[in-house]
Amino acid sequence: MKHFTLKCIKAEHLKLRRSPVWLAFFLLPVLSAFFGTANYQMNQGVLKSEWYSLWSQHSLFLCYLFMPALIGTYCSYLWRLEHMRTNWNAFLTAPVPLPALCFGKLFWAAAITAAGNAWIFLLYFVCGKICGLPGVLPPQAAGWFAAGTLGGIVICCIQLALSMVIRSFAVPIGIGMAAGIGGLVFTNKGWGMYYPYSLYALGMRANNPQMKLETPVFVISCILYLFLFAGISVVCIRRHEQ
Amino acid sequence: MKTLRLEFYKIRRRRVWLTMFAMLSVQLLWGLWALRNPKDWELESGWMSLLYVLSMLDGIMLPTMMAVLASRLADIEHKGNTYKQLETLRSAGSLYHAKAVCGFLIITALLLAQLTFFIFLGFRLGYAGTPDVAHYLLSYAFKLAGNLSLFLLQLILSMLFANQMIPLVAGLGGSMAALLLMFVRTYSFLPWGGILSASLVGSTWDETTRISSFYYRSFSPAETAAVAMIFVWILIFYFAGRFLFTRKEL
Repeated sequence: MKHFTLKCIKAEHLKLRRSPVWLAFFLLPVLSAFFGTANYQMNQGVLKSEWYSLWSQHSLFLCYLFMPALIGTYCSYLWRLEHMRTNWNAFLTAPVPLPALCFGKLFWAAAITAAGNAWIFLLYFVCGKICGLPGVLPPQAAGWFAAGTLGGIVICCIQLALSMVIRSFAVPIGIGMAAGIGGLVFTNKGWGMYYPYSLYALGMRANNPQMKLETPVFVISCILYLFLFAGISVVCIRRHEQ
Repeated sequence: MKTLRLEFYKIRRRRVWLTMFAMLSVQLLWGLWALRNPKDWELESGWMSLLYVLSMLDGIMLPTMMAVLASRLADIEHKGNTYKQLETLRSAGSLYHAKAVCGFLIITALLLAQLTFFIFLGFRLGYAGTPDVAHYLLSYAFKLAGNLSLFLLQLILSMLFANQMIPLVAGLGGSMAALLLMFVRTYSFLPWGGILSASLVGSTWDETTRISSFYYRSFSPAETAAVAMIFVWILIFYFAGRFLFTRKEL
């Protein structure tokens, strides 16, 4: 199984080669960081918690509104080739187990999400230094990154399932954005831990860097959603086969 | 007319309506949640605040919705590789025009449904008085124009690029630009700032009483020019799209 999974990861890498899809993960956080830093500079009278205030300005809109849709774009792109012409036949007749096919795509979606997160933190550090903030990143930043990436992988799993079932490129992205906005409501009500699209922003502590995250509940929630949507993907791909 | 009818015929099983109304329903659910249990001062200025809130919500969501709509209308041809064949039956210009009009009609219906729902919600919540008809109609017209300009921009991208990732990322970037422009000032000459520029209601926040007050904006010459820019963008995007599409090797 491990051998097959590696083969699928390699095959997906070949399909993604020379694709400009990573550019979106590069450009949108730059836009957010630029405006977030400008807003921080203009409101320093109110935003007094230095690195923490800057983080709230950088992360709020990006994490709730745009990252789910951005991940959705990547996941739609990963399935785009399979939805073209008769490529499903070639895809399903590959001599590997079906779960390995799904895992190959999840691996790259998770990798780009982690890389996108690393880029967000790099921009945060650079902008903090430009603003003249003392020291380096807050000590909790590594935890924000790890929890954010885990929450992001949950969104990858859901968006991959959606993009597999829905042939349209655009519709899953629209769903991702709408679901991300819905995350604001759930988080506001205190139900963020139970709503998969809120997990990313909660993990990143978007807008609330001082928040204490209930780590066990968060991790269990992420794992449950991961298994649930990975299971749904495998069931759907089996049905597709029939 | 026949080309336009065929556009609707082509999308009849593509669930374009369903997609648009699904995204609209998020706005509706948000409205039900965020506007529930209004305080007395909120009821007093309810109709005015509704116009303000809708402008903000639309400014953020609609650039992405327009990208999805344009992509749904254009990628059917990319998938079927039908552009060349269609061009042997009718001119490329009329095909572009039909898609633009088809999108315009869908946006008109979508915004009408949104406005109807929120007016109904306003009455249910017991907002004082009745909505100011002139301001609501003008707001609807401006929003329609703002969205049409964004739709035409997205249609250009969706028809020119077979890879729909490019227009969709542009739509997401547009949503983000619209959101961030809100923090800069009340108007913008960029296409994504059109809905914000044409918002008829402004707001001030009193820190001591923690109460927002709303007022009908009086437009400065620069703000009026920003509103006029929406219509200039419509013309630019329509003719640029037609020009580029008719000269593209399909």
